[in-house]
Amino acid sequence: MSEPITRRKILVDYRIRAAKCENCGRVYFPPKSFCDIEGRGSRMREVDHFYEKGTLLSCNVIRGPTKKFDYLKSFLSGIIHFQGDNLKVPGRITDYVPPPEEVDVTEFIDRGVVPRFRKTFTDGTSGLIYYSSMNFSFEDDYYPFQQYLPIKPSVNEKSSKPGIVGYGVYLPKFRIKNEGHGVLGVVERTLPFADEDTTTFAVEAGKRALIHSAIDSRYVKKCFVGSESAPYAVNPSMSTVSQVLELGEPYEDGFFSGGIDSQFACKAATDLFIDAAALVAYSTFGGEYVMVIGADNSQAAAGDPLDYTVGAGAAAFIFGKRNVIATLDCYVPYTSDTPDFYRREGEEYPKHGGRFTGIPAYFKHVGTAMKAAMKACNLTPKDIQYVANHSPNGKFPYQAAIEAGFDKEQIEPGLVVKYIGNLYSGSCPTALAAVLDIAKPGDKILMTSYGSGAGSDAYIFTVTDAIEQKRERSITVKEQIENPHRQYVDYSTYRRWKEG
Amino acid sequence: MKKLKPLAAIVGAGRTKFGELWYQNPEALLTEAGLKAMESVEYGLRRKDIQACYFGSFLYQVTNKLALIPGYMSRELGMNIPMSNTEAACGSGGSALYNACLGIRSGEYDVTLVGGFEKMTDRAGKIIDDLMFAGDPHEFDAGYTFAGLYASMMARYIHDYGDSSDGRCREALALVACKNHHHAVGNEYAQFRREFTVEEVLNSPLVADPIRMLHCSPVSDGAVALVVVSPEVAKEYTDTPIYIVGSQQATDDVSICSRESLTGIKATRLAMEKVLKETSMTMCDIHLAEVHDCFTIEEIFFLEDSGFCERGEGWKTVYDSYESFKGSKHIPYVNGNSELVVNAGGGLKADGHPVGATGVRQVYECFKQLRNEAGGNQVDKELNVALCHNIGGTGGIATVHILMREL
Repeated sequence: MSEPITRRKILVDYRIRAAKCENCGRVYFPPKSFCDIEGRGSRMREVDHFYEKGTLLSCNVIRGPTKKFDYLKSFLSGIIHFQGDNLKVPGRITDYVPPPEEVDVTEFIDRGVVPRFRKTFTDGTSGLIYYSSMNFSFEDDYYPFQQYLPIKPSVNEKSSKPGIVGYGVYLPKFRIKNEGHGVLGVVERTLPFADEDTTTFAVEAGKRALIHSAIDSRYVKKCFVGSESAPYAVNPSMSTVSQVLELGEPYEDGFFSGGIDSQFACKAATDLFIDAAALVAYSTFGGEYVMVIGADNSQAAAGDPLDYTVGAGAAAFIFGKRNVIATLDCYVPYTSDTPDFYRREGEEYPKHGGRFTGIPAYFKHVGTAMKAAMKACNLTPKDIQYVANHSPNGKFPYQAAIEAGFDKEQIEPGLVVKYIGNLYSGSCPTALAAVLDIAKPGDKILMTSYGSGAGSDAYIFTVTDAIEQKRERSITVKEQIENPHRQYVDYSTYRRWKEG
Repeated sequence: MKKLKPLAAIVGAGRTKFGELWYQNPEALLTEAGLKAMESVEYGLRRKDIQACYFGSFLYQVTNKLALIPGYMSRELGMNIPMSNTEAACGSGGSALYNACLGIRSGEYDVTLVGGFEKMTDRAGKIIDDLMFAGDPHEFDAGYTFAGLYASMMARYIHDYGDSSDGRCREALALVACKNHHHAVGNEYAQFRREFTVEEVLNSPLVADPIRMLHCSPVSDGAVALVVVSPEVAKEYTDTPIYIVGSQQATDDVSICSRESLTGIKATRLAMEKVLKETSMTMCDIHLAEVHDCFTIEEIFFLEDSGFCERGEGWKTVYDSYESFKGSKHIPYVNGNSELVVNAGGGLKADGHPVGATGVRQVYECFKQLRNEAGGNQVDKELNVALCHNIGGTGGIATVHILMREL
């Protein structure tokens, strides 16, 4: 497919966009400029179905796919009905692997389905990657349906100290178990389905953050996507996220918003938390919100020790200065040129310095930043309720926190790495989200990231009353970890899907 | 029935065998069929008599990297007359004949050559992708294949009409294949001349659940040609012309998603209504129908879309007709007092489905059957009226023709 065709498809496929006749209500997909009934007198407007749920009108199991879907081997394709607009579209059912024996597909008819932003196919290893929201998962399966209902800001709403307005975490459905008691404290890990990558993770997390915040996406003026596994070497994930989530004021077929993809090993996202908070407090910025996403399909060569700790997923945080759920009170960065983990351009997997990644790298930077942050705020571990550390495994973050004077109760809630693996850029943000899921107004949280190469950012947040009113709109990290629909795969499937 | 005024007449027909024709180029296949058609004309036909050619083909630009079929066929036939190629996916052949009828009805031409061809096996590994050009790009991007699209229609049909049938609906969908393979045994040109049992169909490899391999028509090469003339000159070429008394076409949205129903083909229904009105006939007047059975569900859709059966009753007609059949040759569908032989040559299912040739092959089969020239495969009853039903894609276009021996 050519680049211009792709651009035109993006405008329709990312939001499941259709055209609706304002006179008679008929809806057309793909969009068209006039209504069959009303003719040239039609008044057409665009409608999208990105946040809606549909039902499956019919489906089948594709066993001999077209070339571009060979990578999926077999899957469900179906016809989805959006009842509100009486719109029918074709879609692929994702996160479902048909068994080899015949499936009675009539049993799927009338089941609810939720749109998912996924890869459709790729033009080899050097061509474009095609994405679409016309992929669906079953509503009663792993991925629940959530409504997006932005709340119009009150004119009386006071501006406060900048901080987190909302957040969202996306952990994929599929898991792999580590044998026995786990490896370095990691018992099981998330992995992408064959059609997922870092960009799709980022979109899902960002979507959940918007739903949780209940802010209008048009007021998000900047978006940062931190990752070390971006699908393109050149071509940002951020612009895809912005296009799908419609971040910024729309103008023609683009948006008045900006942002970048960032890279600093596992702290590519957290480094920008302070920038996000600073921007929303800066009058010249002219925007209300900034979204920061940490997303990774964490890379590891087959058989490398990392191959038993890496996970996949994303966490997104929206920063603003109104109705914040946690104020950003302190920021202490600490950096040195310590080459403990790296990947050269063009190389598929990272290399690391083995035991050198421990004391001289992770512990030195994390420990220094943690202690400096507490000192800057004149706090002791007793004044802080929770710790959320970057979690390359289950042992490092625990040990670093113990050494800083924290006890098990303060550490455990953020130690989700045990069940999801190391999400690289998404690791520390996901730990923070897990803590926010249970934090009470007034609690203080010390979050400390670590990025190889090397640096740490320590942040102290104070939870506000607003957290309670937004709680019902979140899908917690614990809920995702314990979701009964999560599905385990074997090692060969894990490698195949992970490598995409 | 009042005496009908014919639109055109067929005076000659020729075809190639259908199947894996590795050693021939598509234009050579069409030439072979064309020459056979011309040579079959009873009182002879000289090339210079032909005033225009109408061809039907879908994928030749992709499968063989050819374009400008008129130029190739001008070279093959050694003529410089007007020629056109019609592309309407699997409905290309029927559309070419429809266009030829328009040319004759307009008074512009008296003698035309109509040809349909396809060369699919030259792209064996990629043909599943190529066929999706006849689907909506969004269907393509949802992972659909053509079998998948029909499988979704079939699943909905089973859900809506066959759920409480104790498996008889699914059995009927297999029986369509059994019947058409049974009919093809005596067809010397058919791609598959062997019988299949219901068990074999229902245990064949899964292609797109609920569709299995033996619910599908094959990938084929082949060509068919007809000499189509004005009724006024027909008797100059033969004493037994087969008249075209109805020629109609209807279209619908290319995507199954945008259609009114998943359990029927609107274009077929509209074209059938028009052609029955045009000829003042009912389905009871039709003795033989060559139906577009690209997948077995499509034959059942036709029975319902044409009005031969009520909506949702098609599978019962198939099941009951098969169960009550006692003979050994063609198995007719029986509904009340109506009896209809469908796909006497094996249909797309067993005769083969070289996409652009199919619509013309259906007319070839009817021509031979109506003239009592089908040899060992001749239907064992008096035939005077036959119908050809050719659709494109999943129903984006439907073309129907009604043929008669005696007006």
